[in-house]
Amino acid sequence: MSDARFVNQRMVGSSVIPDEAIPLVEGDGRFLNDIKLPGMYHVAFLRSQHAHARLIAVDASEARKLPGVIKVLTGQELLGKVDPFRSMPNRFSGGESIQHWLAVDKVRFCGEAICAVVAEDRATAEDAVDLIKVDYDPLPAVTDPRLGELDGAPLVHEACANNYLIKREYERGNVDEIFRDAHTVVKRKFKIGRKQALCLEGRGCVAGYRENTFTLTVWMSHQLPYVVRHYLAKHLRMAETDVRVIIPHTGGGFGQKASIYPEEFVCAHLALTLRRPVKWVEDRIENMVASTHARDQTIELELAADKDGHILAISSDIWVDVGAYSTYLWSAGMEPLQTAGLMPGPYRIGAMRYRTRGVATNKTPVGPYRAVGRPSASASLELLIDEMARKLKLDPVEVRLRNLISEEAMPYRSANNLVHDNVNYIPCLKLSVLKSDYDRQRAEQREALASGKLRGIGVACFAELTGLGTSTAVGPGTLLQPGRDAATLRLETSGVLTIAAALPSQGQRIMTAMRQVASDELGIKLEDITSITNDTATAPYGFGTFASRTAVFGSGAVIMAARELRKRLLAMAAFLLKVPVEDLTIVNSVIQTVDRSRSISLRDMAEKSYFSAKDIPQELNQGFEVTSFYDPKFGSFAAGAHVVVVDVDPKTGHVEIVRYVATEDVGTVINPAVVEGQIVGGIAQGIGEALLEELVYDDAGQPRTVTLADYLIPSALEIPRIELHHANTPSAALGGFKGCGEGSIIGALGAVACAISDALSRKGGDIHSFPATPERVLKGLGVLPGDA
Amino acid sequence: MAREQQIKLTVNGRSYEKTVPARLSLADFLRDHLHLTGTHLGCEHGVCGACTISMNGRSARSCLALAVQADGAEIVTIEGLRAEDGTRHPMQQLFLENFALQCGYCTPGFLITAIELLRDNPKPTEHEVREAISGNLCRCSGYQAIVDAILAASRLELA
Amino acid sequence: MKPAWFDYYAPHALDEALHLLGDAGHDGRVLAGGQSLMPMLNLRILSPAVIVDINRIEALNRLHAGADGLTVGALVRHADLLRSPDVREGWPLLWEATTQVAHMAIRNRGTVCGSVSHNDPSAEHPSVLVTMGGTVIVAGTAGHRELPAEAFFTGALSNALEPGEMVVELRYPRQPTGTGTAFVEFARRLGDFAIAGAAAMLTIRDGICERARLTVVGMGDGPLRLRAVEEMLTAHALGQKEAQDAFAEAAAMVVAAVDPTDDVHASAAYRRHLAGVMAAQALETALARAGGS
Repeated sequence: MSDARFVNQRMVGSSVIPDEAIPLVEGDGRFLNDIKLPGMYHVAFLRSQHAHARLIAVDASEARKLPGVIKVLTGQELLGKVDPFRSMPNRFSGGESIQHWLAVDKVRFCGEAICAVVAEDRATAEDAVDLIKVDYDPLPAVTDPRLGELDGAPLVHEACANNYLIKREYERGNVDEIFRDAHTVVKRKFKIGRKQALCLEGRGCVAGYRENTFTLTVWMSHQLPYVVRHYLAKHLRMAETDVRVIIPHTGGGFGQKASIYPEEFVCAHLALTLRRPVKWVEDRIENMVASTHARDQTIELELAADKDGHILAISSDIWVDVGAYSTYLWSAGMEPLQTAGLMPGPYRIGAMRYRTRGVATNKTPVGPYRAVGRPSASASLELLIDEMARKLKLDPVEVRLRNLISEEAMPYRSANNLVHDNVNYIPCLKLSVLKSDYDRQRAEQREALASGKLRGIGVACFAELTGLGTSTAVGPGTLLQPGRDAATLRLETSGVLTIAAALPSQGQRIMTAMRQVASDELGIKLEDITSITNDTATAPYGFGTFASRTAVFGSGAVIMAARELRKRLLAMAAFLLKVPVEDLTIVNSVIQTVDRSRSISLRDMAEKSYFSAKDIPQELNQGFEVTSFYDPKFGSFAAGAHVVVVDVDPKTGHVEIVRYVATEDVGTVINPAVVEGQIVGGIAQGIGEALLEELVYDDAGQPRTVTLADYLIPSALEIPRIELHHANTPSAALGGFKGCGEGSIIGALGAVACAISDALSRKGGDIHSFPATPERVLKGLGVLPGDA
Repeated sequence: MAREQQIKLTVNGRSYEKTVPARLSLADFLRDHLHLTGTHLGCEHGVCGACTISMNGRSARSCLALAVQADGAEIVTIEGLRAEDGTRHPMQQLFLENFALQCGYCTPGFLITAIELLRDNPKPTEHEVREAISGNLCRCSGYQAIVDAILAASRLELA
Repeated sequence: MKPAWFDYYAPHALDEALHLLGDAGHDGRVLAGGQSLMPMLNLRILSPAVIVDINRIEALNRLHAGADGLTVGALVRHADLLRSPDVREGWPLLWEATTQVAHMAIRNRGTVCGSVSHNDPSAEHPSVLVTMGGTVIVAGTAGHRELPAEAFFTGALSNALEPGEMVVELRYPRQPTGTGTAFVEFARRLGDFAIAGAAAMLTIRDGICERARLTVVGMGDGPLRLRAVEEMLTAHALGQKEAQDAFAEAAAMVVAAVDPTDDVHASAAYRRHLAGVMAAQALETALARAGGS
């Protein structure tokens, strides 16, 4: 056996079993609700029972008398002491909205916090909440955006005429002319229901007073520790350096824990004024009304094509029911602007127009949730492409192949001004078609139909812009840009490596990914690398985890820091071993000459450098600690193509997914098993969106889905086995990585929707409203009266 | 007196005697009074399954039982699955190796449910596994890795 | 969300429990499996002053299959029925319905009597009891009384219990030979409360339907027995073609007879449609199991 060369087994690309999961599987996770501090009080909130009402009086006298109650805080008492949330400036804003942490004169949605009760324990706090009397003067509620935008409709915010929190019109190309001259025009109205992230763990915080050296320490179930710190300090009028934010284990985020909400800020205020730690844990009933909702679009979409099915232009009119407030940080523009702006997806579309609005209603605010806007946009376009294909008697796969942006056409600037490059749209579709044995599926579909069974096949392709750098705003029109994130690499005194970054993981195993990347860059064994995150006192600055960016930014920053650290390590080793630096390499945590004749372990070298550095020149001994910031500047497109087969029961309307094939391009893969988990998990949430999940309000703005028996997320029986394939191509980002957390949910909604539509169309029916509840399916088939 | 009661029970092989409020749920008792925070609360109305524990040998929602009802009971939580020497239960090991958890919040309930399933039905089909865990909700994984971990355990002859 | 305060008692004898319940009157609640009561306590939908936990009363933990019928005591869990070969063999409708109750952890604790007492319109057990012509044994400080199933259920989430009374036992008669049964239900996810369901029981002799029972689930007021359908089917020949026509007619009669309400999972119109579909499915399956076509 030749051992002339020693090469580490590459860690990037290996399904390394993540050490960080061990405490979770052994019951030793430390989630927010597991934190206890001596003398800690508990908080419960009194919430509005009305969708829209003037607050005439709040009488907490009985509550204050209850033994065990420490304090009842009202909105009036907070006035002037803290700064309320004002909607972020946005170019497309319809007017400023102000959200008090606790309602002052008015409540604007069912579930809005009115009072905070502090008590010795949570049950007592809830007892006290029941004793508070609120005198409401009900106002007419806005519950339908199409009615809310009419002149004379009741206003949710006086400053927002026609209830527009956001409004934008956009046109590229001569859309009217293209539509006038086009061979084929198809047009349809789609409705995508209101939903929410439904993290298994709700939000929550523990706010501590004078823990360690910080005036305020806040443990929070959140995705963005540094952003929270910045805004806590700003709104509480404190120095940022007096505030520490720590993110414990987090039971799901999905964007819902990326916004800033009033409750945690109220708790911080309470800890400061009571000089005692307080805890608030959002229960499920609160979570259904007090944490952001998502989607809820009405999309009127029109498509012009030539006789061969090439898309020439699209035009859309979009209404989003964005709820009562402009979600803090992100604005109300998330769903309205992204649904409209990202409509072209992976297709060559030279001209587009949209009119989009976010209309304020008396409902829970809409905020970021996994793949904001794109699933609704993509599903609408995919359904309309199928309709066009049926009209032109083209196969859904063929029509997509004719329109996808090919590798040869890249870089390609789409009508929405985004540039597509280094992305495998066509290979993804071809592989899914091959792996699903598409032609055979079509043959089996015909046989099924002949024997009286209703089967449908859906094909959906998507583009997902991941890892956005400083050149792209997170929310179009906002000032907020994701910027840069840092990682610190430190070789400890015993020669092991610590990576620190403020990039929380809610199961994405970011710590493991960064260890894998560092191991390859530095030749340090994986078991010699540890990672700390999530604490503003110990990790360098980072924007946090959202928008499929964390692995891209974290890995990029690790690579940059590792390259500098590697230089320092080799320089010192060259001095100690008295060999030219070019002869050295690092293998398995040992620095050695390529011929292995001379070597020094990192342990020995670290001890020398930290403890016995008398003979080492100062310029060589700068310290083995490097912090690097990474900014990819632009985003990278990821892609996917899903093929789904469904059986529809024409008697009950039940939809069963019988086959699910997905191919994705997520760039260079760091940990394949982790990536697969992200993709399959995203597909499951997309299936939920397609078939089950919908938040329902009545006409008075009362929520009707406030428990997990009303709001249905998929169980193991609704999710089929997902057959997953890859057509990856590296991005231009450092390491070739792309984000993979969000893309698959886009393909899932579209592919399942198209499959159901395909089945119904065999009986002359169709469906344009989702989720495809059994009832809507039967309406689509004409079995029950009404529109679907 | 009727609002408080003394209870004696065994949790993970250890006996406890405590006085508890009658309205305290078994889940809150385990978490707040015994500091066994591995059991998680996801809904407190019996749907999500995150709080599932083993009570007298059978899986139960600890949010739907009162602590006082556990008087005399034998309870096993996720913290009690490890062997005395600290070795992970094979089901825990297979969840880890199959990447069957992401955020980990639902994991305690899945482990208890999966172990009970294989005790009752050592060689389940994939569909039987999916049916058995359909009362436990996971929002991250899409269930595939969980199903694979349980099927892998069924091949191990856990007994 | 935590329950409000209540006084808790866990008596060891039925008499003691009945006295506690009698004293509490409208303010008292029986706690058995807790799978319906506990969510309502946690959500503070209910805040009873007194909870009487009957789990310590050994005498109520009785499951007995005898020549004259099946006795199910107030502490018998859904899972106990599923583990009983006697029940599976002799009371297949009850067994099949129980397999569709919620999920394993719920079935391990929830009781059959509790489900019957609670009378959720979407629950399985009330309909099974009605279909099988079972009896409810009720106890109070004034003594025991027996109620035929249909007299016990008095509307959604209500029953014929007086304040201070509780269900101590259910009795299910044996089914006649030549009987086939089926319980079917449709929910958006398995284990959820049904949008609609049906329990059917057909006794077939020489191709003729000697006796028919049909009850639908999920229709608002609790178990709804379709006497008109039963009469139509009785003495009907149920060969393949006849059965097809008869069951189509049965489904149409069900659709005309039910008066469901809207909720977040289904409109009244969809529920009504589904009741017909479920009824036809249950009848077809029951017939096949009775040895008919």
